[in-house]
Amino acid sequence: MVMVGKTTERIVATVLMYLAVVVVMAATLFPLVWMFITSFKKETDVLTFPPTFVFEPTFDNFIYAFTKSKPPLSLALTNSLIIGACTVALVVPISALAAYSFARFNVGGGHLQFYILTVKMFPAIAAIIPYFIIFRELGLLDHVLSLIILNTLFNLPFAIWLLFGFFREIPQDLEESAMIEGCSKFGAFRDIVLPLIAPGLAVTAIFSTIFTWNEFLFAFILSRARAVTAPVAVAGFWTQRGILWGPLSAAATICIVPMFIFALLIQRYIVRGLTFGAVK
Amino acid sequence: MARVRLENVTKRFGDVVAVNNLSYEVGDGEFLCMLGPSGAGKTTTMRMIAGVERPDEGNIYIGDVPVNDVPPKERDVAMMFQSYALYSHKTVYKNLAFPLEKHKVSKDEVDRRVKEVAEILGISHLLDRLPKQLSGGEKQRVALGRTMVRKPEAYLLDEPLTNLDAKLRAHMRAELKKLREELKTTIIYATPDQLEAMSMADRIAVMNFGKLLQCDTSGAIYNHPKNLFVAGFIGSPAMNFIDCTFVEKEDKAFLDAGEFLYDITELKNLIKDRYTSPELILGIRPEHISISKKPLTEDSIEAEIYVIEPSRPDVIVSISVGTKALEALAPETFRGDIGEKVWITFDRSRVYVFDKKTENAII
Repeated sequence: MVMVGKTTERIVATVLMYLAVVVVMAATLFPLVWMFITSFKKETDVLTFPPTFVFEPTFDNFIYAFTKSKPPLSLALTNSLIIGACTVALVVPISALAAYSFARFNVGGGHLQFYILTVKMFPAIAAIIPYFIIFRELGLLDHVLSLIILNTLFNLPFAIWLLFGFFREIPQDLEESAMIEGCSKFGAFRDIVLPLIAPGLAVTAIFSTIFTWNEFLFAFILSRARAVTAPVAVAGFWTQRGILWGPLSAAATICIVPMFIFALLIQRYIVRGLTFGAVK
Repeated sequence: MARVRLENVTKRFGDVVAVNNLSYEVGDGEFLCMLGPSGAGKTTTMRMIAGVERPDEGNIYIGDVPVNDVPPKERDVAMMFQSYALYSHKTVYKNLAFPLEKHKVSKDEVDRRVKEVAEILGISHLLDRLPKQLSGGEKQRVALGRTMVRKPEAYLLDEPLTNLDAKLRAHMRAELKKLREELKTTIIYATPDQLEAMSMADRIAVMNFGKLLQCDTSGAIYNHPKNLFVAGFIGSPAMNFIDCTFVEKEDKAFLDAGEFLYDITELKNLIKDRYTSPELILGIRPEHISISKKPLTEDSIEAEIYVIEPSRPDVIVSISVGTKALEALAPETFRGDIGEKVWITFDRSRVYVFDKKTENAII
């Protein structure tokens, strides 16, 4: 609500504000809604012009997506889950310990931190060939492990940067007090500091999960049949025979659903984590 | 209870010498107060005793055991931080229980001690609250309680009353004193407030810029300050300092302050033996200056009233003697006008003389 100004001005301002919100929301949601609708359309309805919103829904696309895809969509979903879970399991502890070291011991005097951050600035596509060669030599092409390693590496810079900010907010008094009262240095970290930055850990885990789930480029290049992930499977419907819009939309919808539910469940942790600052 | 001893302890942070060759000793059950302004080195010293900071030079002993290499959790001291350092994700109960749990005390014993301490400090009704739900005074008492649950060899209290409002501070000063009588433990206390130090401590260690200036009982520090800083820091309102020069005329000796001459013939030889130059500073506390409408003795000096502050029960009268400004304490019955001519007389037995260059006390 706009609070200042004359009444007519206030009404106009408020209306414009809501209008802007509606426009942005429509622009963001429209592709998703369209995709969702398309997944229920028969093949003939998919490409009609003008586009129809009234049609007879069918589940054929979903059945096709699951049964006729090669490699199977179910495998892709399983791989995404495994890669996501392993990546988060690695990223959170490593980034927490690294960020703590930077915050408390100033390891590398700021240079190491900067170096890690620059990894994020590096255009991923420039590294694709070297990584391909490395993993080929290691015999890890088309293997889930290579994607776990890569996703961990790509998520660490952001995670470390994020957690560093959180650790800096915690006054050192608390750890020192804990050490005087009987904790070792690590004990103080575990019992006092970690619980206090739990929102930060949650945000790190959440963002790592989302980034990993959505990661397309490296998954596409480095997988063939056994290690395909959900985004790669969806792209698989872009065949040489043409784009199978119906099954593609169905597959995409299926792949979005887990993240969608996940986000709904943890959205308040994201907000809490990002507006963190109430330690004192 | 143990003694705590510091021998030639020095700590540097880069170019800054935070603690400079500090040595003192705290006896069993003694309440020693480190008194000094911000940056004097009080907190750094306390942290070194606790073990959170390591001295660059010198040794620290707790109970005659050298503890330089002993980690904090094995030193058996408890420290209360100026910021209270309460664990904000734990309830008051869990905050108080934490030190005991870390020392593997049984659950029943933990419960008993926590409740005991909470009772003494009057915070039993707050045990289920979180720190952010407490007022400043309540937080302070929880922080204090956390040091008490373990019954350590020594308590280190770092400016515990600084963050409280004036009324609560006065109340807690009395409470701390009473607590101290009951507990009879060794306490090392840091504060910039000389009133706190004077009222609570057995001995006071006055510090500035990392150096120990004087370590004595409050009475000794008030009556026999060893140097300029100590003299000026203790006592409120502060001691008056007047620059002067030692002159001799015939058989007599005077302190020449420009606007007036003060006869100190009886101290002539004492001063001459001890000074490094005739540049001296005369010190006199406001409470030892008498103001009168007529000269009282031949030493009385003519002055003019500058400002009157009726801060009851006394009246602080700022007077000017030529270009020099002094403060004197007058009884409540004093009446005067700004600009009025009055006479001030120094209590001869309470005049201090300092060497201007070394800042040490001569008399």
